[in-house]
Amino acid sequence: MMASPPTPTTTDTRRDAPPLLEVRGLNVAYGDVQVLWDVDLVIYPGETVALVGSNGAGKSTLLNALSGLMNPLSGSIRVNGADLTHQPSRRFVHAGICHVPQGRRLFVGMTVRENLMMGAFSRTDGAAAIRQDFAQVLALFPRVEERLNQLAGKLSGGEQQMVAIGRGLMARPHLLMIDELSLGLSPIMVDTIFDVIKTVQAQGRTMLIVEQDIQAALEQASRGYVLDTGHITHGGASADLLASDAIRTAYLGI
Amino acid sequence: MDFLLHPSFWPQQIVNGLLIGGVYVLVALGFSIVWGILNIVNLAHGAFIMLGAFITFFIWDATNLDPFLVLPIAAAILFVIGYATQAGIINFVVRAPLLVTLLLTFGIEIFVTNLALYKWKADIRSVSPSYAGQSIELGSTIIPITKLGALGLACAITGLLALFMTRTKIGASIRAMGMDLTAARLMGVNIPRTYALTFGLGAALAAAAGTLISATQPFDPSIGSSYTIRAFVICVLGGLGSIPAVLVGGLLFGLIETIGSVVLGAGYKDAITFLVLVLLLVFRPNGLMGKEYYR
Repeated sequence: MMASPPTPTTTDTRRDAPPLLEVRGLNVAYGDVQVLWDVDLVIYPGETVALVGSNGAGKSTLLNALSGLMNPLSGSIRVNGADLTHQPSRRFVHAGICHVPQGRRLFVGMTVRENLMMGAFSRTDGAAAIRQDFAQVLALFPRVEERLNQLAGKLSGGEQQMVAIGRGLMARPHLLMIDELSLGLSPIMVDTIFDVIKTVQAQGRTMLIVEQDIQAALEQASRGYVLDTGHITHGGASADLLASDAIRTAYLGI
Repeated sequence: MDFLLHPSFWPQQIVNGLLIGGVYVLVALGFSIVWGILNIVNLAHGAFIMLGAFITFFIWDATNLDPFLVLPIAAAILFVIGYATQAGIINFVVRAPLLVTLLLTFGIEIFVTNLALYKWKADIRSVSPSYAGQSIELGSTIIPITKLGALGLACAITGLLALFMTRTKIGASIRAMGMDLTAARLMGVNIPRTYALTFGLGAALAAAAGTLISATQPFDPSIGSSYTIRAFVICVLGGLGSIPAVLVGGLLFGLIETIGSVVLGAGYKDAITFLVLVLLLVFRPNGLMGKEYYR
């Protein structure tokens, strides 16, 4: 089992700050089937954390629990010190947690513009700030700007992922959680998306990234957690994880 | 059948069909939204229409206020009733299979209709403002003023609803919820409240239809179910999933029903309704302009 609290790394610029997200002893089940066991996870402001693991390890379930889509059996989820355990999703959104779900889940009968604006649904900081973020998202994704008035359902998979990330950014979240960042995308599109993630990272946005490509995810993130059949088995600085023999043999096949 | 060839026959029938079709648009509008977004086939919709007609009647009777001006009051009252019904009853079974909500709304229909029969008796009532008998004559075609007003109001309300659904934040959240419930949650939409708002909106539209019906034809507490059936047929005819589809379906259904009952005889009115339904389900089950999602 992994030792917590996790080791701050050199890229973790604000290690003195209190954690943005703090998960303790989280147990989550689908009916009688328990999927997550005693999960501990901490994310500090400004860092990018990768959550990796094989299919069915419980990564998406963890994200669902962290956005209030699933109610945990026990354990606690604190966001900026406030206890959000057992709260509905909208409370997580209000607290600044934004979840870009697996499969993108765009509103396919709405235009791209409407999808992006739905991302800002819960914001209370005014139209001017929302317009400013809208312009920023379009600067990040020039291809999305060309498609603004098309139905989201008509876009390619890569474009949909761009809109999904853009919709997430429109919430101006404290923590952006992206599930299956590159799943099903062409290699060129994967590069594009990772470039965008770098830019967003440079803007100081805190992110939790779930990614199948463990090497790419850990290279992108400053820290990582490895989830294996519902348990966090490793955690720490990306460089340490990438150098670890256990992870190299189990996940990287080298 | 010589009358079919009379030069004034077809223009008059088409006008009649469009006039009643306008009311049918409003009859089906709330039903379509509740079905398309909440996936509830609301069998109590006709009962809400009946309540709208009676509320209009009682307010008009007591104050002599123009029935068209009573419309917003009736709509507001039914909005509250609809919101409370969803929040207090239907929200408990909303993710249950369709059959459960079908049974539940059927129960509400029986309860409301029989309560109305008990309180108000089966007397046939009508709302007749001072201008009720007046009409406009275009050549040999006669257009009754109240029915023209009803058509105009129905179109205006349909247009306003379309604007509300596409231009407002609440409207967008209602549509978003219909397309992807999980994603709507992740945007921070308050799902139970938005469900109740949607159902309340459907009931308010039913009340508006009830007002128009009360001002254009006689009614009694048992009219509800016949309008529920028409709303169902119109949704199948136009296709589920958009407001323009209801507009097309309602007007077309008004034409079919009016012309059909003149040609075949008024006794076949309900038979025509079901014939349309059967033909559609066989040949075009998605309706004329059905969409996958409510837009």
